[in-house]
Amino acid sequence: MTIGILADKQNRDGGWPYVRGSSWIEPTAYAVLALLAAGETERARRGLRWMLAIERSDGGWPPKKGIDQSTWVTALVALLPPEELGASAHARAIAWLLGTTGRESTLTYRLREWLLGNAGLSGQEPPGWPWIPDTAAWVGPTSLAVLALDKEYRRRPLPAIRERIDSGRRFLLARVCQEGGWNYGSVRALGYASRPYPETTGMALAALRGVRSPATDRGLAVAQSFLGECRSADALNWLRLGLLAHGQLPVGYCHPLEVTDRTLPDTSLGLLVAEAEKGRDFFLA
Amino acid sequence: MPRTLTRREWLAGSAGTALLSGCGEERPIVPSMVSIVRAPAYDQRLYETVRRMLEEHRLEVRGRHVVLKPNLVEFEPGSSMNTHPLLVHAAFEAFRGMGAASVRIAEGPAHRRNTLDLADAAGYFKIVPRFEDVFVDLNLDEVTRVRPVRQFSRLGALYLPKTVLGADLLVSMPKMKTHHWAGATLSMKNLFGVVPGGIYGWPKNPLHWAGIHESIADLHAIFPRPFAIVDGIVGMEGNGPIEGTPKPVGVLVAGHDPAAVDATCCRIMRIEPLKMEYLRLASGGEAHITERNIRQIGESLPAVATPFELIPEFRWLRMENS
Repeated sequence: MTIGILADKQNRDGGWPYVRGSSWIEPTAYAVLALLAAGETERARRGLRWMLAIERSDGGWPPKKGIDQSTWVTALVALLPPEELGASAHARAIAWLLGTTGRESTLTYRLREWLLGNAGLSGQEPPGWPWIPDTAAWVGPTSLAVLALDKEYRRRPLPAIRERIDSGRRFLLARVCQEGGWNYGSVRALGYASRPYPETTGMALAALRGVRSPATDRGLAVAQSFLGECRSADALNWLRLGLLAHGQLPVGYCHPLEVTDRTLPDTSLGLLVAEAEKGRDFFLA
Repeated sequence: MPRTLTRREWLAGSAGTALLSGCGEERPIVPSMVSIVRAPAYDQRLYETVRRMLEEHRLEVRGRHVVLKPNLVEFEPGSSMNTHPLLVHAAFEAFRGMGAASVRIAEGPAHRRNTLDLADAAGYFKIVPRFEDVFVDLNLDEVTRVRPVRQFSRLGALYLPKTVLGADLLVSMPKMKTHHWAGATLSMKNLFGVVPGGIYGWPKNPLHWAGIHESIADLHAIFPRPFAIVDGIVGMEGNGPIEGTPKPVGVLVAGHDPAAVDATCCRIMRIEPLKMEYLRLASGGEAHITERNIRQIGESLPAVATPFELIPEFRWLRMENS
């Protein structure tokens, strides 16, 4: 039934909107993954053709057609199977991710901060990924980039990929909220502790698959408590993925019936999470 | 032998002459009307209060497209950080009653991506009938590239939502709150929410890198005349805009000139508006936001003023004699 919704909502150009209207990369990437999981390859390939048509010359992807900037959505493109997207386009997406960091990690910025006496040249936090180049790194785009690179590393175990996965994970571990879990990436504001969010806690935990630390343990405890009280489909999808990545999703967990999918990414991710619960994790292979 | 002026000296001299010639002129300022209306609680009386307040401002919206832009931030149920849905619905009904061709509610939260879930948790689905049909998530709206007429930051052109750009009347409906980066967040800062997260991310970090005050001024240059209705029924003090504590004030503040409305709100909060960098930047100095250049109607400032607690970093903003 939910696959039927995706089929109904596909735009003429092959892409998908968030709810209605023009096509965006994020809903299209998730819809393509969900359709491929369901064996609906024809519709998925129409989506892929639309995505390929808006690739930018720097190897990255804009959030939608007509935007002259490659952004975080490139990580979602890199999550697609290279045999479906095309090996060269996929390699360009991976290269774009490897070459992108938060502005605070660039040499120019660090040198400026050092000259201003604000920080040492090397003693800063590990590089994560920004939503949009030339801005700071945040939890959401870093988690997605780590997921994409981790998937790629399972295919091509290159040291450059390993290095960015590790630094991305260290970035996430440095952004844990005081009470555990993650928000968008601001742990403190003017000395005041900020609270975690369910969706970003789930995303970060998914990206920290296989990492055991006190921070992940606290994150898992926070995720468990969010799972019981949260009523956002988006947040619940990510919480399930995050807990699943650590083998901590409660056995027999049922998605609450009163939770509504608000957007097409909610629907697609819901399908992908259900597949992952059955052992077919499209974020892994 | 006459000495030739260097380029630097010539420029300095020209600037001085321009300044001096400007000093002699007192540019006439047309006072902006700002109303302060008592509204003790979020209850059914709000519908009549808002209707009468808008009538006083003689807004001509018949056949026009109106977009209401509340401030939605987080899910916390007991908090006062979001614009109350009853106030937004009261404005929605009032504009419809005034003959608007369409009234939509639109917002693009800065931190949370699941906007509709956030609106649901904030009570919008419960209060506004068929909320999803009248709501636009500005983070994911269709966009057009716009360059501010006056540029204060290094942002350059911005992609902005067509829903807002195409509105005949944009109504900024913020919460009266302190803000731990900007001092206070009111109708002008509320326009950060029109910058689409779908393009710029969550948070809308390019605005921070370009300078918060300067970016607010840029957005003011793009949307110079939104109508403003500030939710000061229960505001937020202390570590706003998220972690602060509820502050009952019992007022609505409204007007056509966002700088004048925000300056009035600051005075109610006992914050010195002339010390607020974005207010000075956006309004081109002090003249426009001084008290004597604002035609205030309704309740008097002394009758409603109540000092908002400020975090130590912003105590220097406090008005004298507060």
